[in-house]
Amino acid sequence: MAMLEIHDLHATVDGKVILNGLNLTIDAGEVHAIMGPNGSGKSTLSYVLTGRHGYEVTGGKIMFDGNDLMQMEPDERAREGVFLAFQYPVEIPGVTSMTFLRTAVNAVREHRGEAPFDPMDFVKHLRKSATDLNISDDMLKRAVNVGFSGGEKKRMEMLQMAALEPRISILDETDSGLDIDALKIVADGVNAMRSSERGILLITHYQRLLEYIEPDHVHVLAQGQIVKSGDKSLALELEEKGYSEFLDNAA
Amino acid sequence: MPDGSTNITPYLAQALEVSPTFAGAGVDWVDALRNAGAQCYTDHGLPVRRDEYWRYTNLNSLRDERFQLASADPLIGLPPLPHPSVSGLASYRIVLVNGRVQPKLCMLDGMPDGVLITDLGGILVAAPERLEPHLGRVVSLKDMPMAALNTAFLQDGMAVFIDEEIVLDKPVHLISITAPGEGAMMVQPRHLVVMDKGAQATLIETHISAAGGSSFNNIVTELQVAENARLNHFVFQGESETSVHLSGTAVALSAGAYYESFVLQGGAAIGRSEIRAYLNGPGADCRLDGVYLATGNQLVDNTTYIEHAAPECRSHQVYKGVLGGQSRGVFQGKTHVTRGAQQTDGRQLSQALLLSPRAEINVRPELEIYADDVKCSHGATAGELDENAVFYLVSRGITRPDARRMLIEAFLSQAISEISLRPVGEGFSTHIQQWLGSHVDQSPDGDPS
Repeated sequence: MAMLEIHDLHATVDGKVILNGLNLTIDAGEVHAIMGPNGSGKSTLSYVLTGRHGYEVTGGKIMFDGNDLMQMEPDERAREGVFLAFQYPVEIPGVTSMTFLRTAVNAVREHRGEAPFDPMDFVKHLRKSATDLNISDDMLKRAVNVGFSGGEKKRMEMLQMAALEPRISILDETDSGLDIDALKIVADGVNAMRSSERGILLITHYQRLLEYIEPDHVHVLAQGQIVKSGDKSLALELEEKGYSEFLDNAA
Repeated sequence: MPDGSTNITPYLAQALEVSPTFAGAGVDWVDALRNAGAQCYTDHGLPVRRDEYWRYTNLNSLRDERFQLASADPLIGLPPLPHPSVSGLASYRIVLVNGRVQPKLCMLDGMPDGVLITDLGGILVAAPERLEPHLGRVVSLKDMPMAALNTAFLQDGMAVFIDEEIVLDKPVHLISITAPGEGAMMVQPRHLVVMDKGAQATLIETHISAAGGSSFNNIVTELQVAENARLNHFVFQGESETSVHLSGTAVALSAGAYYESFVLQGGAAIGRSEIRAYLNGPGADCRLDGVYLATGNQLVDNTTYIEHAAPECRSHQVYKGVLGGQSRGVFQGKTHVTRGAQQTDGRQLSQALLLSPRAEINVRPELEIYADDVKCSHGATAGELDENAVFYLVSRGITRPDARRMLIEAFLSQAISEISLRPVGEGFSTHIQQWLGSHVDQSPDGDPS
């Protein structure tokens, strides 16, 4: 049984068809990359998987570890191990990053039947990941994402991923807006999460990220469907030729 | 008597009937003050919509139900107080039950020389001359019709005098308990705080109800803060939802004086805090902040008036509230800068979160400026919780109700964090958490409470 099976998925946003019969299977231990032109439905896929309000599934099914994902509320999906690194992480004034992380981690731990962390233990638990991601104590004391640079926001997403230890991580355009140093830190963070227990789905417009995180499979998403799949060489091909071939096919 | 005339001045007859028995009756200036209140109230009556500061708060329930003046000295013990961090604070405690000071419940031992914390009723009898230069001098009856009614009934409350340069070692904690019996009951307490030059003190007020019928609590507080004196004032209004709680505070600041007020309103069917601050001396500084929480059919009103009557004064106001159910919030804030008040710094912010489609907020910020070298601003926002933020938290495994509570608490914490006395800030935070726990949606589909 695959960890994540998306079968003939149709979805609309504001009544407009965005996903139109998408099929994708991800096994534990695999890293998949979905590439595609703007407007092809990449971000919609990430929001459908996480259950965001306004992204309506009109057909098909999504099975996660053998369970129907569509029957779960967004917070249940997260506690079951679905994680989305946001393209645009949200600023939460008045809530410190540390409190936010601890609340989230304890919600997941409680779901797994594990004891919650008290604040002191949690600081210790977080230390290594924070150090690896070059996240200072000062950042953790500040309100979530408030006043963070683009790179800091993406590193904070990676810290959340590390702390929550998801079954599947979806990274939506995590490379956008990063300079090369920040990109390396983020890529190291993702690579550190690679494991035989975990699936990773990279959503990206550019091939650049894939130089640092090597995918097992690459898919092209266009007009709401996976139109081509291959290995990492497909990404290089796309870099060279662009997406026009897939856009023309749609006409 | 035809309805028309009773509607003009309800409650006044009771005042005229009983005032000869009040403390201080027969003292000329006390009689004159009460008569002035009665006359002003006769001329004006209960406030109506056309009154500038009562546009959004309707007092028809005071016309429909006949509240009787509470009888003196009901014998009750102290009910459990909210906020252990506040009630556990070492303080000079003065307790009012139904508007009358209860000496047996007060703890006023060890007052330093030069400090007097006592019952207004006692001092009206024993030493009215001490009150004469102060009582009724700050409050403007024509601007505050409910203060006129209170003045007609003036008989008891708290009186505090802090002499020159004295820094009071502990806060004064005024605990006001409204304990109605079977019938509808009213109380008309009157408080006075006189801070002499350079004096410093903290005043905490806790307003709660004991179980019972409906009540009408009409409070007037006069505060005089002399040159370079400092007064910190923290108020918790948690009366029962069968109560009408109207509080009118008038504060006069001399040169270099500082006044900080924080009002947390979470109780009463109608809860109103009106503060009028007069910055009379150069360099006076006042902060008026508040948080309000309302649900069901509650109405919560915060009305402020700040008069910059001298140069180089500062006024800062931040009011934040959360409205659920069919509740209504009112914020009216007027900053008046007189001609000579150059280098005024006046800022005002009102922010409301509406948790339900049927909740409502009426906001009226106003600047009236007659000086040309001033910095004044006001801002007002009202809106729902940011769904992007809710989803961000939910996508990390936090339940939707918990996510909403976290965000609301964060929104309010920016106001609470301004409270300068830590145990009070902690107590108010705890109250907010408890309120959110019982009033913000538990339903998984996230329908607002």
